[in-house]
Amino acid sequence: MASADQISHESMVNQSLRFKMARSSVSCKYSEFSMVVIPGHNHTGDSVERRRRPELPVIPPREKSMPIDQDWTTVWPTASTFKWSAVPLPIRQGRVFVCFKNFSESNIFNYFHSQKAEQDGIPPGKYGNLELMKIPNFLHLTPNHIKKHCAALKEFCTEWPEGLETDEKCKKHFPVEVISSDYIVDSISLRDPRARTVCIKINLSSLDLDSHAKDKFIRLVGDRYNADTGELTLELDRCPMKKQNHDYGIYLLSALFKESWKTEGWESEKTVDDMEMYVWSMNESKKNTQQITEVMKKAAENPSCKVPEYVLKSENVLETEPVQEYAAAVEDLHNVGEDLHSLEKYKEQVKKMLLAQ
Amino acid sequence: MSRLLSMLQTPVGHAEASWALLLRRGIYTSPVAQKNIRAGQIKSSINANLPLTYEQAQKPHKIGVTKAWNSWNTSNLTGETKDSAATTLEDLFIRQFMKGTWHNYLASEVIIKRRLNVVIVSFIAERQLNARNFYFLVGYTEEMLSTILKRPIKVELQTVRRKRDMTFKLI
Repeated sequence: MASADQISHESMVNQSLRFKMARSSVSCKYSEFSMVVIPGHNHTGDSVERRRRPELPVIPPREKSMPIDQDWTTVWPTASTFKWSAVPLPIRQGRVFVCFKNFSESNIFNYFHSQKAEQDGIPPGKYGNLELMKIPNFLHLTPNHIKKHCAALKEFCTEWPEGLETDEKCKKHFPVEVISSDYIVDSISLRDPRARTVCIKINLSSLDLDSHAKDKFIRLVGDRYNADTGELTLELDRCPMKKQNHDYGIYLLSALFKESWKTEGWESEKTVDDMEMYVWSMNESKKNTQQITEVMKKAAENPSCKVPEYVLKSENVLETEPVQEYAAAVEDLHNVGEDLHSLEKYKEQVKKMLLAQ
Repeated sequence: MSRLLSMLQTPVGHAEASWALLLRRGIYTSPVAQKNIRAGQIKSSINANLPLTYEQAQKPHKIGVTKAWNSWNTSNLTGETKDSAATTLEDLFIRQFMKGTWHNYLASEVIIKRRLNVVIVSFIAERQLNARNFYFLVGYTEEMLSTILKRPIKVELQTVRRKRDMTFKLI
Protein backbone atom coordinates (compact mmCIF):
# COMPACT_ATOMS: atom_id res chain seq x y z
CA MET A 1 0.00 0.00 0.00
CA ALA A 2 2.79 2.37 0.95
CA SER A 3 4.66 1.85 -2.35
CA ALA A 4 1.52 2.48 -4.34
CA ASP A 5 1.03 5.80 -2.51
CA GLN A 6 4.62 6.79 -3.23
CA ILE A 7 4.27 6.08 -6.96
CA SER A 8 1.11 8.06 -7.28
CA HIS A 9 2.67 11.02 -5.42
CA GLU A 10 5.73 11.02 -7.68
CA SER A 11 3.63 10.94 -10.81
CA MET A 12 1.63 13.94 -9.56
CA VAL A 13 4.82 15.93 -8.89
CA ASN A 14 6.13 15.07 -12.37
CA GLN A 15 2.93 16.19 -13.94
CA SER A 16 2.93 19.52 -12.18
CA LEU A 17 6.60 20.09 -13.08
CA ARG A 18 5.97 19.38 -16.73
CA PHE A 19 3.12 21.82 -16.69
CA LYS A 20 5.24 24.53 -15.12
CA MET A 21 8.05 23.95 -17.61
CA ALA A 22 5.71 24.33 -20.51
CA ARG A 23 4.33 27.57 -19.13
CA SER A 24 7.73 29.07 -18.32
CA SER A 25 9.23 28.25 -21.74
CA VAL A 26 7.82 31.44 -23.13
CA SER A 27 9.41 33.69 -20.55
CA CYS A 28 12.87 32.07 -20.62
CA LYS A 29 14.62 33.89 -23.44
CA TYR A 30 18.25 33.29 -22.52
CA SER A 31 18.40 29.53 -22.33
CA GLU A 32 18.24 26.97 -25.10
CA PHE A 33 16.57 24.53 -22.77
CA SER A 34 13.57 25.21 -20.72
CA MET A 35 14.20 25.82 -17.06
CA VAL A 36 13.05 23.48 -14.34
CA VAL A 37 10.69 25.38 -12.18
CA ILE A 38 9.96 24.31 -8.68
CA PRO A 39 6.95 26.18 -7.37
CA GLY A 40 7.79 28.45 -4.48
CA HIS A 41 11.54 27.88 -4.86
CA ASN A 42 12.87 29.80 -7.83
CA HIS A 43 12.00 33.08 -9.37
CA THR A 44 10.12 32.75 -12.66
CA GLY A 45 10.86 36.23 -13.98
CA ASP A 46 8.28 38.72 -15.08
CA SER A 47 4.76 37.43 -14.91
CA VAL A 48 2.59 37.97 -17.94
CA GLU A 49 0.78 41.22 -17.48
CA ARG A 50 -2.94 41.15 -17.96
CA ARG A 51 -3.90 43.30 -20.81
CA ARG A 52 -6.06 46.18 -19.73
CA ARG A 53 -8.27 47.86 -22.16
CA PRO A 54 -7.42 51.53 -22.32
CA GLU A 55 -10.20 53.86 -21.19
CA LEU A 56 -12.00 55.16 -24.22
CA PRO A 57 -12.04 58.93 -24.48
CA VAL A 58 -15.51 60.22 -23.65
CA ILE A 59 -16.94 63.66 -24.21
CA PRO A 60 -17.96 65.19 -20.86
CA PRO A 61 -21.73 65.28 -20.30
CA ARG A 62 -23.55 68.09 -22.03
CA GLU A 63 -25.06 69.38 -18.80
CA LYS A 64 -21.59 70.52 -17.65
CA SER A 65 -21.21 72.98 -20.51
CA MET A 66 -24.73 74.42 -20.49
CA PRO A 67 -25.12 78.15 -19.93
CA ILE A 68 -27.73 79.18 -17.36
CA ASP A 69 -29.75 81.28 -19.84
CA GLN A 70 -29.87 78.69 -22.61
CA ASP A 71 -32.94 78.00 -24.72
CA TRP A 72 -34.23 74.70 -23.39
CA THR A 73 -36.41 74.12 -26.46
CA THR A 74 -33.30 73.65 -28.58
CA VAL A 75 -31.85 71.15 -26.12
CA TRP A 76 -35.01 69.07 -25.88
CA PRO A 77 -37.09 69.78 -29.00
CA THR A 78 -39.33 66.71 -29.11
CA ALA A 79 -40.50 63.85 -26.94
CA SER A 80 -37.55 61.68 -26.03
CA THR A 81 -36.33 59.20 -23.48
CA PHE A 82 -34.70 60.77 -20.44
CA LYS A 83 -31.01 61.48 -21.02
CA TRP A 84 -29.10 62.05 -17.82
CA SER A 85 -26.25 63.82 -19.61
CA ALA A 86 -28.55 66.47 -21.11
CA VAL A 87 -30.73 67.30 -18.12
CA PRO A 88 -29.03 69.72 -15.71
CA LEU A 89 -31.22 68.77 -12.76
CA PRO A 90 -30.21 66.78 -9.68
CA ILE A 91 -32.87 64.11 -10.12
CA ARG A 92 -33.10 60.85 -8.22
CA GLN A 93 -35.53 58.03 -8.70
CA GLY A 94 -35.96 54.74 -6.91
CA ARG A 95 -37.23 53.29 -3.70
CA VAL A 96 -34.59 52.49 -1.13
CA PHE A 97 -35.22 50.02 1.61
CA VAL A 98 -32.57 50.36 4.26
CA CYS A 99 -31.78 47.01 5.82
CA PHE A 100 -28.92 46.86 8.29
CA LYS A 101 -29.10 43.11 8.74
CA ASN A 102 -26.96 42.28 5.71
CA PHE A 103 -24.77 45.33 5.99
CA SER A 104 -21.18 44.45 5.31
CA GLU A 105 -18.83 47.36 4.95
CA SER A 106 -15.83 45.38 3.70
CA ASN A 107 -17.78 43.86 0.80
CA ILE A 108 -18.97 47.17 -0.50
CA PHE A 109 -15.66 48.95 -0.24
CA ASN A 110 -13.67 46.09 -1.71
CA TYR A 111 -15.74 45.61 -4.79
CA PHE A 112 -17.81 48.67 -5.41
CA HIS A 113 -16.18 51.51 -3.58
CA SER A 114 -17.27 54.01 -6.21
CA GLN A 115 -20.88 52.92 -6.21
CA LYS A 116 -23.72 54.05 -4.02
CA ALA A 117 -25.33 50.82 -2.89
CA GLU A 118 -28.78 50.51 -1.43
CA GLN A 119 -27.32 50.21 2.02
CA ASP A 120 -26.25 53.82 1.80
CA GLY A 121 -29.92 54.73 1.99
CA ILE A 122 -29.87 57.15 -0.91
CA PRO A 123 -32.20 56.77 -3.91
CA PRO A 124 -30.24 56.15 -7.13
CA GLY A 125 -29.19 59.24 -9.03
CA LYS A 126 -29.89 60.03 -12.66
CA TYR A 127 -26.65 58.44 -14.01
CA GLY A 128 -27.45 55.00 -15.42
CA ASN A 129 -30.93 55.10 -13.93
CA LEU A 130 -33.25 52.88 -15.92
CA GLU A 131 -36.37 53.98 -14.04
CA LEU A 132 -36.01 57.52 -15.32
CA MET A 133 -35.76 56.17 -18.86
CA LYS A 134 -38.94 54.15 -18.46
CA ILE A 135 -41.34 56.82 -17.32
CA PRO A 136 -42.75 59.36 -19.80
CA ASN A 137 -41.28 62.80 -19.25
CA PHE A 138 -42.63 66.24 -20.10
CA LEU A 139 -39.32 67.92 -20.81
CA HIS A 140 -40.59 68.63 -24.34
CA LEU A 141 -43.71 70.40 -23.06
CA THR A 142 -42.37 73.29 -21.01
CA PRO A 143 -44.16 76.67 -21.23
CA ASN A 144 -41.61 77.85 -23.81
CA HIS A 145 -42.31 74.81 -25.97
CA ILE A 146 -46.05 75.48 -25.83
CA LYS A 147 -45.48 79.10 -26.81
CA LYS A 148 -43.51 77.95 -29.84
CA HIS A 149 -46.20 75.45 -30.76
CA CYS A 150 -48.88 78.14 -30.53
CA ALA A 151 -46.84 80.55 -32.65
CA ALA A 152 -46.36 77.88 -35.31
CA LEU A 153 -50.05 76.93 -35.31
CA LYS A 154 -51.34 80.49 -35.38
CA GLU A 155 -51.18 80.87 -39.15
CA PHE A 156 -53.48 77.88 -39.59
CA CYS A 157 -56.11 79.28 -37.22
CA THR A 158 -59.26 81.07 -38.45
CA GLU A 159 -61.58 83.55 -36.77
CA TRP A 160 -64.37 82.14 -34.63
CA PRO A 161 -67.61 82.57 -36.63
CA GLU A 162 -69.80 85.47 -35.57
CA GLY A 163 -73.08 84.69 -33.88
CA LEU A 164 -71.79 81.50 -32.29
CA GLU A 165 -70.36 83.04 -29.16
CA THR A 166 -72.29 80.98 -26.65
CA ASP A 167 -73.30 77.34 -26.37
CA GLU A 168 -76.99 78.30 -26.60
CA LYS A 169 -76.43 80.03 -29.93
CA CYS A 170 -74.45 77.06 -31.25
CA LYS A 171 -77.26 74.72 -30.21
CA LYS A 172 -79.83 76.94 -31.86
CA HIS A 173 -78.07 77.04 -35.22
CA PHE A 174 -76.74 73.49 -35.15
CA PRO A 175 -79.39 71.45 -33.33
CA VAL A 176 -78.12 68.04 -34.48
CA GLU A 177 -75.34 66.71 -32.28
CA VAL A 178 -73.20 63.89 -33.69
CA ILE A 179 -70.95 62.00 -31.27
CA SER A 180 -68.35 59.51 -32.43
CA SER A 181 -65.04 58.28 -31.04
CA ASP A 182 -61.66 57.62 -32.58
CA TYR A 183 -59.43 55.05 -30.95
CA ILE A 184 -55.72 55.74 -31.16
CA VAL A 185 -53.63 52.68 -30.46
CA ASP A 186 -49.97 51.86 -30.98
CA SER A 187 -50.48 48.40 -32.39
CA ILE A 188 -50.14 47.00 -35.88
CA SER A 189 -53.56 48.02 -37.16
CA LEU A 190 -55.18 51.44 -36.88
CA ARG A 191 -58.66 49.98 -37.31
CA ASP A 192 -60.84 49.58 -34.28
CA PRO A 193 -64.34 48.07 -34.39
CA ARG A 194 -65.51 50.39 -31.61
CA ALA A 195 -64.89 53.45 -33.79
CA ARG A 196 -67.84 52.66 -36.07
CA THR A 197 -70.47 53.65 -33.50
CA VAL A 198 -72.17 57.00 -34.09
CA CYS A 199 -74.60 58.67 -31.72
CA ILE A 200 -76.96 61.36 -33.06
CA LYS A 201 -78.80 63.60 -30.62
CA ILE A 202 -81.45 66.20 -31.31
CA ASN A 203 -83.97 68.05 -29.18
CA LEU A 204 -87.48 67.67 -30.56
CA SER A 205 -88.26 71.31 -29.79
CA SER A 206 -85.80 72.31 -32.53
CA LEU A 207 -87.81 70.35 -35.14
CA ASP A 208 -90.80 71.92 -36.84
CA LEU A 209 -93.53 69.57 -35.60
CA ASP A 210 -97.17 70.14 -34.70
CA SER A 211 -98.86 68.22 -31.90
CA HIS A 212 -99.95 65.41 -34.21
CA ALA A 213 -96.53 65.08 -35.87
CA LYS A 214 -94.74 65.22 -32.53
CA ASP A 215 -97.02 62.56 -31.10
CA LYS A 216 -96.36 60.35 -34.10
CA PHE A 217 -92.62 61.03 -33.97
CA ILE A 218 -92.43 59.98 -30.34
CA ARG A 219 -94.41 56.82 -31.06
CA LEU A 220 -92.07 55.93 -33.94
CA VAL A 221 -88.83 56.37 -32.01
CA GLY A 222 -90.03 54.52 -28.92
CA ASP A 223 -87.61 54.52 -25.98
CA ARG A 224 -85.00 56.53 -27.87
CA TYR A 225 -86.89 59.63 -26.77
CA ASN A 226 -86.26 61.05 -23.34
CA ALA A 227 -89.46 62.72 -22.16
CA ASP A 228 -87.73 64.59 -19.34
CA THR A 229 -85.24 66.42 -21.55
CA GLY A 230 -87.18 66.19 -24.83
CA GLU A 231 -84.11 64.72 -26.48
CA LEU A 232 -83.93 62.04 -29.14
CA THR A 233 -80.86 59.78 -29.11
CA LEU A 234 -80.06 57.48 -32.01
CA GLU A 235 -77.27 54.95 -31.41
CA LEU A 236 -76.06 53.65 -34.76
CA ASP A 237 -73.69 50.70 -35.02
CA ARG A 238 -75.15 48.31 -37.55
CA CYS A 239 -72.91 49.28 -40.47
CA PRO A 240 -69.19 48.41 -40.49
CA MET A 241 -67.89 51.95 -41.10
CA LYS A 242 -68.40 55.21 -39.25
CA LYS A 243 -69.37 57.13 -42.39
CA GLN A 244 -72.04 54.59 -43.26
CA ASN A 245 -73.51 54.73 -39.76
CA HIS A 246 -73.55 58.54 -39.83
CA ASP A 247 -75.26 58.65 -43.22
CA TYR A 248 -77.79 56.07 -42.11
CA GLY A 249 -78.51 58.13 -38.99
CA ILE A 250 -79.17 61.28 -41.01
CA TYR A 251 -81.38 59.33 -43.40
CA LEU A 252 -83.28 57.85 -40.45
CA LEU A 253 -83.83 61.30 -38.96
CA SER A 254 -85.25 62.74 -42.19
CA ALA A 255 -87.41 59.67 -42.74
CA LEU A 256 -88.82 59.98 -39.23
CA PHE A 257 -89.56 63.66 -39.77
CA LYS A 258 -91.35 63.08 -43.09
CA GLU A 259 -93.25 60.09 -41.76
CA SER A 260 -94.47 61.93 -38.69
CA TRP A 261 -96.01 64.68 -40.83
CA LYS A 262 -98.10 62.18 -42.81
CA THR A 263 -101.71 61.73 -41.77
CA GLU A 264 -103.23 58.43 -42.73
CA GLY A 265 -106.91 58.05 -43.64
CA TRP A 266 -107.75 56.03 -40.56
CA GLU A 267 -106.38 58.68 -38.24
CA SER A 268 -109.50 60.86 -38.75
CA GLU A 269 -111.61 58.09 -37.23
CA LYS A 270 -110.00 58.66 -33.86
CA THR A 271 -112.56 59.70 -31.23
CA VAL A 272 -112.25 61.13 -27.72
CA ASP A 273 -112.38 57.59 -26.33
CA ASP A 274 -109.33 56.61 -28.42
CA MET A 275 -107.18 59.42 -27.06
CA GLU A 276 -104.34 58.36 -24.81
CA MET A 277 -104.49 61.60 -22.86
CA TYR A 278 -106.93 64.37 -22.06
CA VAL A 279 -107.13 66.97 -24.84
CA TRP A 280 -108.99 70.08 -23.83
CA SER A 281 -110.06 71.07 -27.33
CA MET A 282 -111.83 67.76 -27.86
CA ASN A 283 -113.75 67.74 -24.62
CA GLU A 284 -116.82 69.24 -23.00
CA SER A 285 -114.73 71.79 -21.18
CA LYS A 286 -114.12 73.71 -24.42
CA LYS A 287 -117.79 73.91 -25.24
CA ASN A 288 -118.61 75.09 -21.76
CA THR A 289 -115.92 77.75 -21.89
CA GLN A 290 -117.25 78.98 -25.23
CA GLN A 291 -120.77 79.21 -23.82
CA ILE A 292 -119.60 81.08 -20.75
CA THR A 293 -117.61 83.60 -22.78
CA GLU A 294 -120.62 84.21 -25.02
CA VAL A 295 -122.80 84.82 -21.96
CA MET A 296 -120.18 87.22 -20.63
CA LYS A 297 -120.10 89.10 -23.94
CA LYS A 298 -123.88 89.56 -23.81
CA ALA A 299 -123.77 90.61 -20.19
CA ALA A 300 -121.19 93.27 -21.03
CA GLU A 301 -123.89 95.26 -22.84
CA ASN A 302 -125.30 96.00 -19.43
CA PRO A 303 -123.01 98.73 -17.96
CA SER A 304 -123.61 97.57 -14.38
CA CYS A 305 -122.02 94.17 -15.19
CA LYS A 306 -118.28 93.83 -14.90
CA VAL A 307 -116.67 91.34 -17.27
CA PRO A 308 -112.97 90.54 -17.88
CA GLU A 309 -111.32 92.76 -20.47
CA TYR A 310 -110.08 90.02 -22.79
CA VAL A 311 -113.66 88.97 -23.63
CA LEU A 312 -114.34 92.35 -25.20
CA LYS A 313 -110.97 92.92 -26.81
CA SER A 314 -110.63 89.92 -29.10
CA GLU A 315 -113.11 88.35 -31.46
CA ASN A 316 -111.84 84.79 -31.10
CA VAL A 317 -112.01 84.48 -27.33
CA LEU A 318 -110.77 80.87 -27.20
CA GLU A 319 -107.39 81.87 -28.63
CA THR A 320 -106.71 84.47 -25.95
CA GLU A 321 -104.11 83.99 -23.29
CA PRO A 322 -106.33 83.49 -20.20
CA VAL A 323 -108.38 80.78 -21.94
CA GLN A 324 -105.30 78.97 -23.26
CA GLU A 325 -103.71 79.05 -19.84
CA TYR A 326 -106.92 77.72 -18.34
CA ALA A 327 -106.92 74.94 -20.95
CA ALA A 328 -103.34 74.04 -20.04
CA ALA A 329 -104.27 73.95 -16.34
CA VAL A 330 -107.20 71.60 -17.03
CA GLU A 331 -105.02 69.32 -19.17
CA ASP A 332 -102.40 69.29 -16.45
CA LEU A 333 -105.01 68.34 -13.88
CA HIS A 334 -106.15 65.38 -15.98
CA ASN A 335 -102.88 64.18 -17.43
CA VAL A 336 -100.41 64.73 -14.61
CA GLY A 337 -102.79 64.24 -11.72
CA GLU A 338 -104.22 66.21 -8.85
CA ASP A 339 -101.78 67.71 -6.44
CA LEU A 340 -101.47 70.94 -4.51
CA HIS A 341 -99.56 72.68 -7.27
CA SER A 342 -101.92 71.77 -10.12
CA LEU A 343 -105.03 72.56 -8.08
CA GLU A 344 -103.63 75.94 -7.09
CA LYS A 345 -102.81 76.65 -10.72
CA TYR A 346 -106.33 75.63 -11.81
CA LYS A 347 -107.85 77.92 -9.22
CA GLU A 348 -105.76 80.87 -10.34
CA GLN A 349 -106.58 80.32 -14.02
CA VAL A 350 -110.33 80.03 -13.35
CA LYS A 351 -110.25 83.28 -11.40
CA LYS A 352 -108.32 84.99 -14.17
CA MET A 353 -110.71 83.74 -16.84
CA LEU A 354 -114.04 84.44 -15.13
CA LEU A 355 -113.52 87.43 -12.84
CA ALA A 356 -112.93 91.01 -13.82
CA GLN A 357 -109.66 92.36 -12.51
CA MET B 1 -56.46 15.61 12.42
CA SER B 2 -55.01 12.48 14.02
CA ARG B 3 -55.70 13.99 17.40
CA LEU B 4 -59.28 14.57 16.39
CA LEU B 5 -59.64 10.97 15.19
CA SER B 6 -58.13 9.61 18.37
CA MET B 7 -60.66 11.62 20.32
CA LEU B 8 -63.47 10.20 18.26
CA GLN B 9 -62.18 6.66 18.75
CA THR B 10 -62.17 6.85 22.55
CA PRO B 11 -63.92 4.09 24.51
CA VAL B 12 -67.65 4.40 25.10
CA GLY B 13 -67.22 5.47 28.70
CA HIS B 14 -65.16 8.52 27.76
CA ALA B 15 -67.12 9.55 24.67
CA GLU B 16 -69.04 12.29 26.43
CA ALA B 17 -65.93 13.94 27.79
CA SER B 18 -64.22 13.83 24.37
CA TRP B 19 -67.09 15.57 22.60
CA ALA B 20 -67.12 18.24 25.26
CA LEU B 21 -63.43 18.75 24.64
CA LEU B 22 -64.01 18.96 20.89
CA LEU B 23 -66.73 21.54 21.27
CA ARG B 24 -64.60 23.66 23.50
CA ARG B 25 -61.58 23.55 21.20
CA GLY B 26 -63.46 23.99 17.95
CA ILE B 27 -62.06 23.46 14.47
CA TYR B 28 -60.14 26.20 12.75
CA THR B 29 -59.79 26.23 8.97
CA SER B 30 -58.25 28.70 6.57
CA PRO B 31 -57.83 28.69 2.79
CA VAL B 32 -54.49 27.58 1.38
CA ALA B 33 -52.52 30.50 -0.02
CA GLN B 34 -50.99 28.93 -3.12
CA LYS B 35 -48.82 31.81 -4.14
CA ASN B 36 -45.42 31.53 -5.70
CA ILE B 37 -43.15 33.87 -3.81
CA ARG B 38 -39.92 32.68 -5.38
CA ALA B 39 -40.40 33.43 -9.06
CA GLY B 40 -38.24 36.25 -10.38
CA GLN B 41 -36.42 36.69 -7.10
CA ILE B 42 -32.66 36.28 -7.02
CA LYS B 43 -31.15 34.20 -4.25
CA SER B 44 -28.57 35.89 -2.08
CA SER B 45 -24.98 34.68 -2.26
CA ILE B 46 -22.91 33.36 0.65
CA ASN B 47 -20.66 36.41 0.80
CA ALA B 48 -23.50 38.83 0.12
CA ASN B 49 -21.55 40.28 -2.79
CA LEU B 50 -23.78 39.48 -5.76
CA PRO B 51 -24.39 42.78 -7.51
CA LEU B 52 -27.96 43.55 -8.53
CA THR B 53 -29.30 46.41 -10.60
CA TYR B 54 -32.30 48.36 -9.35
CA GLU B 55 -34.47 46.41 -11.77
CA GLN B 56 -33.28 43.07 -10.42
CA ALA B 57 -33.43 44.17 -6.81
CA GLN B 58 -37.15 44.96 -6.96
CA LYS B 59 -39.21 41.80 -6.75
CA PRO B 60 -41.90 41.08 -9.37
CA HIS B 61 -44.80 42.08 -7.13
CA LYS B 62 -43.26 45.56 -6.91
CA ILE B 63 -43.89 46.27 -10.59
CA GLY B 64 -46.00 49.40 -10.69
CA VAL B 65 -45.02 50.23 -7.10
CA THR B 66 -41.27 50.75 -6.90
CA LYS B 67 -40.34 49.98 -10.48
CA ALA B 68 -42.12 50.63 -13.76
CA TRP B 69 -42.98 48.34 -16.63
CA ASN B 70 -40.44 47.45 -19.33
CA SER B 71 -43.04 47.50 -22.11
CA TRP B 72 -45.09 50.64 -22.55
CA ASN B 73 -47.96 50.29 -24.99
CA THR B 74 -51.70 50.80 -25.20
CA SER B 75 -52.54 47.11 -25.28
CA ASN B 76 -51.27 46.95 -21.69
CA LEU B 77 -54.08 49.26 -20.56
CA THR B 78 -57.14 47.93 -18.77
CA GLY B 79 -59.80 46.64 -21.13
CA GLU B 80 -57.63 47.02 -24.22
CA THR B 81 -57.33 43.48 -25.45
CA LYS B 82 -56.91 44.24 -29.14
CA ASP B 83 -53.51 43.21 -30.53
CA SER B 84 -52.04 42.64 -27.07
CA ALA B 85 -50.85 39.15 -28.03
CA ALA B 86 -49.15 40.39 -31.19
CA THR B 87 -47.54 43.28 -29.31
CA THR B 88 -46.20 40.97 -26.61
CA LEU B 89 -44.78 38.60 -29.18
CA GLU B 90 -43.08 41.47 -30.98
CA ASP B 91 -41.60 42.71 -27.72
CA LEU B 92 -40.24 39.24 -27.09
CA PHE B 93 -38.66 39.19 -30.52
CA ILE B 94 -37.13 42.65 -30.12
CA ARG B 95 -35.60 41.65 -26.77
CA GLN B 96 -34.11 38.50 -28.28
CA PHE B 97 -32.73 40.52 -31.18
CA MET B 98 -31.17 43.08 -28.86
CA LYS B 99 -29.65 40.34 -26.74
CA GLY B 100 -27.96 38.93 -29.82
CA THR B 101 -26.97 42.17 -31.49
CA TRP B 102 -25.70 43.97 -28.41
CA HIS B 103 -24.26 40.83 -26.90
CA ASN B 104 -22.27 41.55 -23.74
CA TYR B 105 -22.84 45.32 -24.04
CA LEU B 106 -26.30 45.44 -22.55
CA ALA B 107 -26.08 46.75 -19.00
CA SER B 108 -29.81 46.86 -18.43
CA GLU B 109 -33.12 45.44 -19.56
CA VAL B 110 -34.49 46.60 -22.90
CA ILE B 111 -37.37 49.06 -22.59
CA ILE B 112 -39.83 49.10 -25.46
CA LYS B 113 -42.13 52.08 -25.78
CA ARG B 114 -44.64 52.50 -28.57
CA ARG B 115 -46.11 55.71 -29.90
CA LEU B 116 -48.58 55.25 -32.78
CA ASN B 117 -46.62 53.10 -35.24
CA VAL B 118 -43.20 54.03 -33.89
CA VAL B 119 -41.37 51.57 -31.66
CA ILE B 120 -38.80 53.15 -29.35
CA VAL B 121 -36.19 50.78 -28.01
CA SER B 122 -34.14 52.20 -25.17
CA PHE B 123 -31.53 50.61 -22.97
CA ILE B 124 -28.23 51.23 -21.22
CA ALA B 125 -25.05 49.89 -22.80
CA GLU B 126 -21.58 49.48 -21.39
CA ARG B 127 -18.95 51.72 -22.93
CA GLN B 128 -16.82 48.90 -24.35
CA LEU B 129 -16.77 50.10 -27.93
CA ASN B 130 -15.81 53.38 -29.43
CA ALA B 131 -18.48 55.75 -30.63
CA ARG B 132 -18.14 54.72 -34.26
CA ASN B 133 -18.97 51.11 -33.54
CA PHE B 134 -21.87 52.15 -31.36
CA TYR B 135 -23.31 54.24 -34.16
CA PHE B 136 -22.96 51.30 -36.51
CA LEU B 137 -24.83 49.01 -34.13
CA VAL B 138 -27.57 51.60 -33.61
CA GLY B 139 -28.04 51.97 -37.36
CA TYR B 140 -27.92 48.23 -37.86
CA THR B 141 -30.54 47.62 -35.17
CA GLU B 142 -32.85 50.31 -36.50
CA GLU B 143 -32.53 49.11 -40.09
CA MET B 144 -32.97 45.43 -39.34
CA LEU B 145 -35.86 45.84 -36.93
CA SER B 146 -37.73 48.25 -39.19
CA THR B 147 -37.32 45.85 -42.09
CA ILE B 148 -38.60 42.94 -40.03
CA LEU B 149 -41.40 44.75 -38.19
CA LYS B 150 -42.26 47.02 -41.15
CA ARG B 151 -42.46 50.26 -39.19
CA PRO B 152 -40.06 52.92 -37.92
CA ILE B 153 -37.85 51.87 -35.01
CA LYS B 154 -35.89 54.30 -32.90
CA VAL B 155 -33.00 53.29 -30.70
CA GLU B 156 -32.45 55.66 -27.79
CA LEU B 157 -29.49 54.32 -25.91
CA GLN B 158 -27.35 55.62 -23.11
CA THR B 159 -24.00 54.39 -21.97
CA VAL B 160 -22.39 53.78 -18.63
CA ARG B 161 -18.68 53.46 -18.05
CA ARG B 162 -18.93 49.89 -16.80
CA LYS B 163 -21.65 47.48 -15.86
CA ARG B 164 -20.97 47.74 -12.16
CA ASP B 165 -22.07 51.38 -12.26
CA MET B 166 -25.56 49.96 -12.49
CA THR B 167 -25.20 48.18 -9.15
CA PHE B 168 -27.88 49.08 -6.70
CA LYS B 169 -27.56 46.41 -4.11
CA LEU B 170 -25.39 43.50 -3.07
CA ILE B 171 -27.04 40.34 -1.88
